[in-house]
Amino acid sequence: MTAVRVFKARRVVTMDPALPEATHVAVREGRILGAGGAELLGFYPGAAEDGRFADRVIVPGFVEGHCHAVEGMVWRLPYLGYFDRAMPAGGTAPGARTLAEALARLRSLEAALAPDQPLLVWGFDPIYYEGPRLHRRDLDAISPSRPIVVSHASGHIINVNSVVLERAGFSADSNLDGLVRDADGLTGELMGPPAMQRATRVAGGGGLMSRLDEEGLRAFARQASRVGITTATDLQRKLDAEMVAMMRRVTGAADFPVRLVAALGAREYSLADGVARAGELLGTGTGKLHFGIVKLTLDGSIQGFTGRLRWPGYHNGAANGMWYIAPSELEGIVEAYLRAGAQIHIHTNGDEASEAAIGALENVLARCPRPEHRTTLQHCQMADAAQFRRMAALGMAANLFVNHIYYWGEQHAALTAGPARAPRMNATATARREGVPVAIHSDAPVTPLGPLFSMWCAVNRLTSRGRVFGAGERLSVAAALHAVTLGPAWTLRLDHAVGSIAPGKFADFTVLEEDPFLVPPERLREIAVHATVLAGEVFHA
Amino acid sequence: MIRLLVIGGFLGAGKTTLVNRLLAHADRKIAVLVNDFGAVAVDAALIAAADATSITLANGCVCCSIGDDFGAALERVAAGKPELVIVEASGVADPWRIAQLALIEPGFELGPLVVLADAADLPRLQADRAVGDVVRGQLSYADIVVLTKTDIAGAALAGSRAAVAAIRPQAHVIEAGNLAASGGDVALADLDFAVPRARARFMAEAAHPFRTWTWRDARPFDRGALRGLLGSLPASVLRIKGFCGLDDDEGDWLLQYAAERWAFTRAGDAPERALVVIGTEAMDQPALEADFAAALR
Repeated sequence: MTAVRVFKARRVVTMDPALPEATHVAVREGRILGAGGAELLGFYPGAAEDGRFADRVIVPGFVEGHCHAVEGMVWRLPYLGYFDRAMPAGGTAPGARTLAEALARLRSLEAALAPDQPLLVWGFDPIYYEGPRLHRRDLDAISPSRPIVVSHASGHIINVNSVVLERAGFSADSNLDGLVRDADGLTGELMGPPAMQRATRVAGGGGLMSRLDEEGLRAFARQASRVGITTATDLQRKLDAEMVAMMRRVTGAADFPVRLVAALGAREYSLADGVARAGELLGTGTGKLHFGIVKLTLDGSIQGFTGRLRWPGYHNGAANGMWYIAPSELEGIVEAYLRAGAQIHIHTNGDEASEAAIGALENVLARCPRPEHRTTLQHCQMADAAQFRRMAALGMAANLFVNHIYYWGEQHAALTAGPARAPRMNATATARREGVPVAIHSDAPVTPLGPLFSMWCAVNRLTSRGRVFGAGERLSVAAALHAVTLGPAWTLRLDHAVGSIAPGKFADFTVLEEDPFLVPPERLREIAVHATVLAGEVFHA
Repeated sequence: MIRLLVIGGFLGAGKTTLVNRLLAHADRKIAVLVNDFGAVAVDAALIAAADATSITLANGCVCCSIGDDFGAALERVAAGKPELVIVEASGVADPWRIAQLALIEPGFELGPLVVLADAADLPRLQADRAVGDVVRGQLSYADIVVLTKTDIAGAALAGSRAAVAAIRPQAHVIEAGNLAASGGDVALADLDFAVPRARARFMAEAAHPFRTWTWRDARPFDRGALRGLLGSLPASVLRIKGFCGLDDDEGDWLLQYAAERWAFTRAGDAPERALVVIGTEAMDQPALEADFAAALR
């Protein structure tokens, strides 16, 4: 008979209404036998008590329903963000609190490079800096000859030095879209894919992140595990045979600490090829590698002014954003993937995009009913009560981007959604009230991985300047915990296997140093993750 | 210089049909760059070789996927030394954002921006709440608008003509009938500013819609004044292309201008300092010559 292990904790929060709280949880063959009190030991002859978490709190393993494995690769380049950020290799990359601090860091990075290497950094976040914006002159002072490319946290802007501008053919004598200029010519700030790609390529930094590799996937999983995640998504990926084989090999290792849900990126394929590939992948998963989701991207980002907004559009008067898929073709795409048996996740940032997605699905379901389709809108940042009601009626879920409230809330109030709509963004409480299954996410590497941080955002709704945005949309701790466990598990069609501590499910737990129900809500994000347990195996954070 | 032709237009306008026809009837070596590689339906009999991201035709033409980086894709096809590169923009993309890059891409010169529109559907689409701005945006920098499906457009045709005239009055409009059927064909030669009458199929009967003149003066421009001139040209000027000198520099400079966007880049030895100016019938050549003269050092 396989050994039974009974973990003892200060408290076990199960998210199972049949037994919400316990002190012990019994595990066999990587799965949960049950939770309860000390009496559990008596249920299973020969069961061994494991007391290493006796002073800690066990919650269901966190499920991150929208992140990207490229998180494991961005750390190959130095981080130049404003906020401190945990690194997969351990330790914390310190944030640069002022532009001067950021420049000082660039200077020391530059000094350490071999002569022929470009200086490439990521995560730069100048909206937090007072005073003038980063200028090519600042970067020229660090090196007039070595290409320097500073990528912004938003992913939509880069800053470069003069040598990169020169190699790209950009000068005061070129008046093209995407080149920021001042009285002195170009500032070195470049916006939009064509100009950014060209500059990155001539700087020698093209293709660095182009393909997920084994070490990148492992680093991603380590990073996820450190913040308490036991099920992680890679929510947009070209899943060719070689990539799937690599994922199978890497996730199959006993020391790979998370379950991976890899979503087929529809934009990587023609419709016919994508539908065929999605069909081929159905049923080929393992306990630690899951397929079946197709990701569609409908619009851009709100902070990049490429999201599609309904009236009255962008507060600062910017033109409405971009469709990556035209609303008129969405219906055909959704129907083809639904008929192929795929589950569909649709990236919609702006409310016009959400509306198009809801409308398309409504029409498709009328002629092609699919009970349990669980179509999920990803980000869905500006949906209002009426949209959530339609989503609930259609059986859709929302994975809301609550981290935005903190990272970009002030910017949304000032520029994008404006002061009236910004506090209503990522309306977690409204979605729940209207009956929409809710998850919350980081979209890492866009914002850092960290379900406790996302919970903190949903519970407090504080901006980076400490203002509460939308007090009426705040979630209780229990609801926030649901939104990082069972909520996303439902959106991934894994709620039968993960997301709560209940008999038969995988023994996936997150072990916390403090009880999220007992700490003051504003301290949620400070709770340390002690360990995770995946299929009964302990991984220390 | 490799000529670059960008073809844009909303979904269903007929871009892929047009590109397939241009490839099949190519009279020179063409490289086509497309977003949706899977939608390219080249007649199998014409295909010499194919892989996951490119098709090589027996007539020497190639068709390649743009992939993640447009500039890198341009470099790849340029290596094959085509005479012409045609870029088929995606149905929701702004073709003008793509076309601009040719102004500074070494070795390329920008041909007219060609935008297709479904004459049967344009009046509805351009007023659509969700995509009207995209459709209008695609048309708003076009040099040539090809109205397709004019054979079945019926009453919508007049509305389509009016919409184009309102959005982009400078554009030359070709009414192309059914692109997929013979007789409704648009030849490559029609999609250019200078159409040799012998080669033009569609415009053979029509007056040439574009006006061209050449500024010939070897004296250098004042760099600042030239920037100012380029920033204030009238809408009737569609393209400027050629070599010039600048007051603060000994060498020759390549100047390209298209629809309010421009770049001058250092050239090798220019054959002749001359600027070819292409515009609509409304272009006022004497006034422009005076402006150019005023910008000389």
